Amino acid sequence: MITSALAVETSGLSKRYDGHIAVDQVDLRVERGSVYGLVGPNGSGKTTTLSMLAGLRRPTAGTIDLQIDRAALALLPDTPEFEPWLTGREVVDLARALVAPRLPISRVQDALDEAGLSDAADRRTGGFSRGMLQRLGVASTLVGDPELLLLDEPCSALDPVGRREVLDLVARQRGRRTAIFSSHILADVHEICDTIGVMREGRLIYQGPLADLLTGAATPAILVRLRGNDPRVVEQLERQSWIRSVTTLADGELRIEVESSEAAERGLAGALAEAGAIVISLRPEEASLERAFLELTR
Amino acid sequence: MTLARLEWFRLRRTWRGPVLLVIFLFFGLVGPLTARYIADIFDRFGGSEIQVIVPDPVPADGLIQYLGNVHQIGLLVVIVVAASGLAFDASPDVAAFFRTRVSSIGRLVLTRAAIYVVAASAAFIAGALAAWYETIVLIGSLPIAEMIGGMFLGVGYYAFVIAVVALSSSIARSTLAVSALAFGVTVVDQVLWGLLPPLERWSPARLAFALSDLTEGADLIDYLPTLASTAVLTALLLAVAIRLLERREV
Repeated sequence: MITSALAVETSGLSKRYDGHIAVDQVDLRVERGSVYGLVGPNGSGKTTTLSMLAGLRRPTAGTIDLQIDRAALALLPDTPEFEPWLTGREVVDLARALVAPRLPISRVQDALDEAGLSDAADRRTGGFSRGMLQRLGVASTLVGDPELLLLDEPCSALDPVGRREVLDLVARQRGRRTAIFSSHILADVHEICDTIGVMREGRLIYQGPLADLLTGAATPAILVRLRGNDPRVVEQLERQSWIRSVTTLADGELRIEVESSEAAERGLAGALAEAGAIVISLRPEEASLERAFLELTR
Repeated sequence: MTLARLEWFRLRRTWRGPVLLVIFLFFGLVGPLTARYIADIFDRFGGSEIQVIVPDPVPADGLIQYLGNVHQIGLLVVIVVAASGLAFDASPDVAAFFRTRVSSIGRLVLTRAAIYVVAASAAFIAGALAAWYETIVLIGSLPIAEMIGGMFLGVGYYAFVIAVVALSSSIARSTLAVSALAFGVTVVDQVLWGLLPPLERWSPARLAFALSDLTEGADLIDYLPTLASTAVLTALLLAVAIRLLERREV
């Protein structure tokens, strides 16, 4: 088990292209052995940040402090591409020979097994589907036994089964390796990441434990199901100072955004009774990463 | 799987290796044949009003024909084949695969350059041996020492050409752009040689025709300055290419 300490730390990391700021003053702090989720809309600077960490692009300003040997870093691009006339096994073996020639050749088969590519290992990659190429990318990333994995949208081309396998595979790295996992799919990030960094327009606008983001960044809301559909109930609820908004959902349920959970716990039952509402059910809305993300990036 | 083996597979499993070999062998076989029968060809197709007087062929003519052809089409094929391997930044994802894994860019460039020098040299020598054999059969014998010396100098020229391709790959990215740039540089080398005769002694392009010149009586010693300048230029071009590729972002 890897002891906790920072594996990656950046300070004021910035990248500019002819007046366009791709990454702006990013201070990443990635703990050793953690799975760090880097999320953000298209063009928010995730890939550029990963490229700078991998050494493929030079920062315009700022510093990168890698607490691991650069040779122990492996990058998986979002659309991995290989020589079409090589077999899957040859690609993985090439990766092994370049990164860790000390490792036995049996490691190639292990990596192919781990990526679920054993059956296609001896086929040329020219005939591989995009999903298979993605798995091959995973295998050639893991074969060198890296300490730091930089995974840029690793599930983007995978079918549900493949996505499940890659997520499980990344989750299994926790404690063994450090992984920075960039994704648009918030459910994936929610599932496997302990820490999250949210990027927007090149800036890191949130960084911290996922749980803190879910409980802290999102506005609390209560879902209330009522008998009947009396518009006066909504009007009366909206008059309460601690209620921010009331939305009628498609299924007739009311979504009541409140200033704080405590305010709702104290006042909501009374306010509903005062409005003459007949309450069937009442529950706090589960904090979702999607909602927190949308609020942060809005 | 080593980097050298990867390039060997690139040559063997794709069109690159066979095309390289076939082109040089073809010109090796056609060169002496053309030299031997050029008078007959003119007689047959030149028409009755025009009389072309062609001197009787000498053995060096077979090599001149071979070198003339390979210095155009053969050179272009060598450049395109080498560019397809050395332009590893043409695809950002392929570039990421190699750049994040190799211990140094120099190792990647030098390994690939060495393999393409060997491949181009093997094709050139195979063509030269074919031309030699056919010249003996059709026209007459050629001096052995001069033939070996000429082939050795020709290999020196192809090493220079591969270094030009390496430098081009550090300036342009796509295989097409790298090929065009490299071909342009080799043409400039020849043009400069033609425009500035004092440069001839130092121009790498002079090595390309050493095979026929030596069999016509040129002295191998006269090529030492050319060989030295070519070696220095080749090393310099590779060093600059590696430096530029190390600094390039993908």
